[in-house]
Amino acid sequence: MNHVTQEEIVMAYYGERFAHLDDCEECRTELARIAAVLDRVDAPEVPEPDADYESRVWQRLEWRLRGEKKRERRREWIRWGAVAAVVALAFVAGLFWQRENRAVAPQSVSKPAQSPNQIVSQQQNQQRQRDRILLVVINEHFDDSERILVELSNLKPEEGLDIGPERARAEGLLASNRLYRRSAEDRGEENVATLLDDLEPVLMQIAHAPSQVSANELRAIQKRVEAKGLVLKLRVVRANVRGKTAASYQQPNV
Amino acid sequence: METTDLELVERARGGDDDAFRLLVERHSRGIYRTAYRITSNSADADDVVQETFLRAYRSLHTYDGRASFTTWAHRIAVNCALDLLDSRKRREARHDSSDDLSELVSQDASPERVVLGAQMQRAIAAALQAMSGNERTAFVLRHFEGVPLEEIGAILGIKTNATKNTIFRAVTKLRERLQPFTGSAS
Repeated sequence: MNHVTQEEIVMAYYGERFAHLDDCEECRTELARIAAVLDRVDAPEVPEPDADYESRVWQRLEWRLRGEKKRERRREWIRWGAVAAVVALAFVAGLFWQRENRAVAPQSVSKPAQSPNQIVSQQQNQQRQRDRILLVVINEHFDDSERILVELSNLKPEEGLDIGPERARAEGLLASNRLYRRSAEDRGEENVATLLDDLEPVLMQIAHAPSQVSANELRAIQKRVEAKGLVLKLRVVRANVRGKTAASYQQPNV
Repeated sequence: METTDLELVERARGGDDDAFRLLVERHSRGIYRTAYRITSNSADADDVVQETFLRAYRSLHTYDGRASFTTWAHRIAVNCALDLLDSRKRREARHDSSDDLSELVSQDASPERVVLGAQMQRAIAAALQAMSGNERTAFVLRHFEGVPLEEIGAILGIKTNATKNTIFRAVTKLRERLQPFTGSAS
């Protein structure tokens, strides 16, 4: 007869059912021995906090929450700063694009009129240039994100690890991530949009983590990065985006 | 009718500090008890309560209401308590502490001499001290709080089988420490 293991006997004490125990006197005796010990283990007496305990907890906490809110406001400013930086970048890119077009314009002015084909070509060139700028900017975004994820993945989970710098970078990237995702969706860049979509919750988790993370919090971040295979995806999509960007440079403007 | 925890969470998410205060007032005592059983120390239990609510405040946006707020907050509390035990262990290792509580029991614990009661409690406390953070938490939650195995596994981030094994290791240590009192070998 196969007896139940010691571990199973302990679990039987805590309510798990083992049919074997009904038939085996020997195992029942062992269960009784374990029960004789565990029955005597009463919960250690917990000193009951005084009647004001709850309000004392809140008073101490309220003070810390105020600091927390200040930090949150600062994070908000960083986020908006990042959005402003992206808008400014787009504006500068637009200026460059206009200047390039103006340089081409005198030649076309000297011509009496543009044919429909020429107009279509010109529009295609403009679109290509816009896409090129977007791809370059997104590639840099992926590069930065990958660096943060790799850095965090390589950390050994320990208590009180300072991830303040990575957190601040993730905050900045989070704001631009949303903008890029929308742009990528608008331009039908599905792979890029999907990856940006996967990246967003992870960046959010890092951005919302405390500066000094516990081992468990870091493990949770690492698990999420690993479960989504984000580092590998970033490398693959980055390679594709680089390829596309290079190809678009090789395509002569018509 | 009393406002539910979920309603308070919703309000707190919207920036209502009074709602969060109510949650703190409702749950701080229960969290203190669990924290005390894991840390065996009032000051540490107080710190765990503070840290738990601070972490809960930061993570309110992740609370989806699938588990009760009590369960969710206790999960955070257990993690805080484990973090605290880890850091305490590291501190003690640095100071090469030689005042192992288990010594208190093993020196003079022959069944004939012990007076059961206070000494038995000391032995149990020493046994709990000898457990790892996970073992102590799993044992405290199962034995004293009656938390189901799956829930303990979720709190500790381990599978149910591993949870059973952790509790078994805790019970084994406990039996070893209490052997002079019970005469029962493991």
